[in-house]
Amino acid sequence: MAAYICTRFCINKFKDSVRFIPRRYRVKSKWAQTRPKFPSTTIALQNFDTTYSMQLGNLWPSVRVAMLSEQKYGALINNFSLTASIITSGLEAEGCIDFIGSHQHSKDSMSLHEDSAEVDVSKPAAHDPRINPDIKCLVFPKGDLSRFKPSRPDSSGLLGYYLLDAASVLPVLALDVQLGHTVLDLCAAPGGKTLALLQTHTVSYLWANDLSGSRTARLRKTLQSYLPREYLEENKIQISSFDGCKLGPTEEKRFDRVLVDVPCTTDRHSVMVEDNNMFNRSRTKERKSLPLLQIQLLMAGIQTARPGGDIVYSTCSLSQLQNECVVQQAIHQAQEVGISVQVQDLGWLTQCFSNTFYFAPQLSVGELVLPHLCANFGPIYMCKLRRSN
Amino acid sequence: MVTHACRRQIVRWIWRWSVCPMDASRGHMSFCSTRQEHHQSSHTRQVPQRPGAQLNVRSLLEMGFSETQADEMHEGALKSRGKHIPSILTVLLVLGLNPASILKIMQKCPEMYSLKGAEIQQRIDNLRKLGLVEGSLQRVISHYPKVMVLPIKRVNMVSRLLKEKCHFTVQQVTDILRDSPEVLEEDLARLEYKFQYAYFRMGVRQAEMVKAKMFRLTLSELRCRHCFLERRGLYQTPDKKGQTLILIPLLKDFLCVSEETYLTQVAMATAEEFHVFCKLIEREQEEEFSNEEQELGDDDDDDDDDYDEKHWKTGYKRDKK
Repeated sequence: MAAYICTRFCINKFKDSVRFIPRRYRVKSKWAQTRPKFPSTTIALQNFDTTYSMQLGNLWPSVRVAMLSEQKYGALINNFSLTASIITSGLEAEGCIDFIGSHQHSKDSMSLHEDSAEVDVSKPAAHDPRINPDIKCLVFPKGDLSRFKPSRPDSSGLLGYYLLDAASVLPVLALDVQLGHTVLDLCAAPGGKTLALLQTHTVSYLWANDLSGSRTARLRKTLQSYLPREYLEENKIQISSFDGCKLGPTEEKRFDRVLVDVPCTTDRHSVMVEDNNMFNRSRTKERKSLPLLQIQLLMAGIQTARPGGDIVYSTCSLSQLQNECVVQQAIHQAQEVGISVQVQDLGWLTQCFSNTFYFAPQLSVGELVLPHLCANFGPIYMCKLRRSN
Repeated sequence: MVTHACRRQIVRWIWRWSVCPMDASRGHMSFCSTRQEHHQSSHTRQVPQRPGAQLNVRSLLEMGFSETQADEMHEGALKSRGKHIPSILTVLLVLGLNPASILKIMQKCPEMYSLKGAEIQQRIDNLRKLGLVEGSLQRVISHYPKVMVLPIKRVNMVSRLLKEKCHFTVQQVTDILRDSPEVLEEDLARLEYKFQYAYFRMGVRQAEMVKAKMFRLTLSELRCRHCFLERRGLYQTPDKKGQTLILIPLLKDFLCVSEETYLTQVAMATAEEFHVFCKLIEREQEEEFSNEEQELGDDDDDDDDDYDEKHWKTGYKRDKK
């Protein structure tokens, strides 16, 4: 039993209100005599078993075993670091492959062989967007279980690479930022995708926003560890913690590219980690209202995009309710307001990287990276929309 | 089965040896004599007339070995310099094993050459007491001759562990010894841990374990196959009442079968996935052990022997997944 301590109050910030909870009532997991009978991870897993076995069919057991096993990471090379090339060659010596670059080389060599005349590699650009060559993400080959060591700061104090789920880079590649574009990242924290966007060197202005103040602080710290101070002071990057839904009406038609990486049930995290689990009883209401929030965020993203601009919607969940349904509902709602949006095909992306990732076959809209033991990335869902008016 | 003629021959030799015990060096001399021309008459006449020294190719042929078999047996005996080989062969023949099997046994387990016939007889009797009757006994000895090399104390310790700590019935212990005699050589703590893993973590009871011949597999193989199924959602540990939410396969359906059958029929996965998974699981286990070792090491000084001992002593925790 816990020893007697004088009661202190702890402040729990719960949405807009501040509640005082006496310290004695707080759950202290380290003193608990028993573990919860039904931990949230079990509840999450049961939930997924019922939903995804119907949705994915025969693919579900492989996805399930991959989600319950250790995740595979990729190393996003920080081009701003002075030692980027040394680090890259060092990692390649250990057996890593830059899955983005290696695809590019094979594509180039293939197209060169096709006809004798000079070939413009960025041929039908509208049909087959060119993958930005500046983003480099190294992964160990399929079936290789080696881990990356944490990155160390170089002489200028910047870190060499950022460890993230390699599939998280795909929505950034899909966004296909061209030179001089302005980009809005609606739910930017903790900053992996934001960092990848900045590696492209094509961004003229980036606005990174996240609702949570603490996560925004984390994002800021991440950017400070990876980007030189001069770059951050250039006024190219703005970091804020507004409610993304409210940005829609205020920043209408302002951005060339919008990335909407919405909060979701983070499936992989929910089955492995008990802390802050989305399937906790106390968060049931929050979880049930997630699709609605996601639709609102996507609507805001659509509103902030200029005519002809692209929006990429991405989640890290397998659920149809949070993926395809949200996109379709948002398109519908946009139509009602008079904005017409078209879904852009991402088949070119899946074709390029089918050797590195496992993609779910035949989705009604968008693409889904499935976790698989040999390529334990994902789950990541992404869908690209283009605003026409 | 041993013929009457053979039995008479055996009795004759026993009488001969008890009267004139074989002199080791002389015995060696006769072994060392050239075997190339293994005509029965030639070299035996060169050796001084000592009946005990007549264990040579000729006597082997008389026992019922074919020429090649006798040669090989002779060679093996020479290398090992065993002193009581005739008695060993006698015991094995009385048991009912034919010469071909005996040769295979001796080749599989050259340590047997250094044993005495009486020791072997005692061990056979001990196995009989444990319930291995004719048929099973011969089968166990031919397939796993090492069981003869193990001291009686060891065999009894293992069977006591199975009976008292693991609560197998006497019949079940016999079945285990018959199907998987390798358990006799296994470390006792590991054996118990394997049992506990199956009992608590997998929820399997003793009868199923015996039917599935579970003790043939190593713990890591067992864990790989089980965890693969569990994480795929095809296996669930039954609750207190023995109920599960899904239909789980029987232990024998996924342990006894080849890996190919297991993958295609039970797990329904590719071999690649399974091998990657096995590597992952092994790594998880190693890291768990090293974490526990650190925790245990933080206590007061234990001897720095293998952390294995410390770990095995704590037994298996139910909620470890």
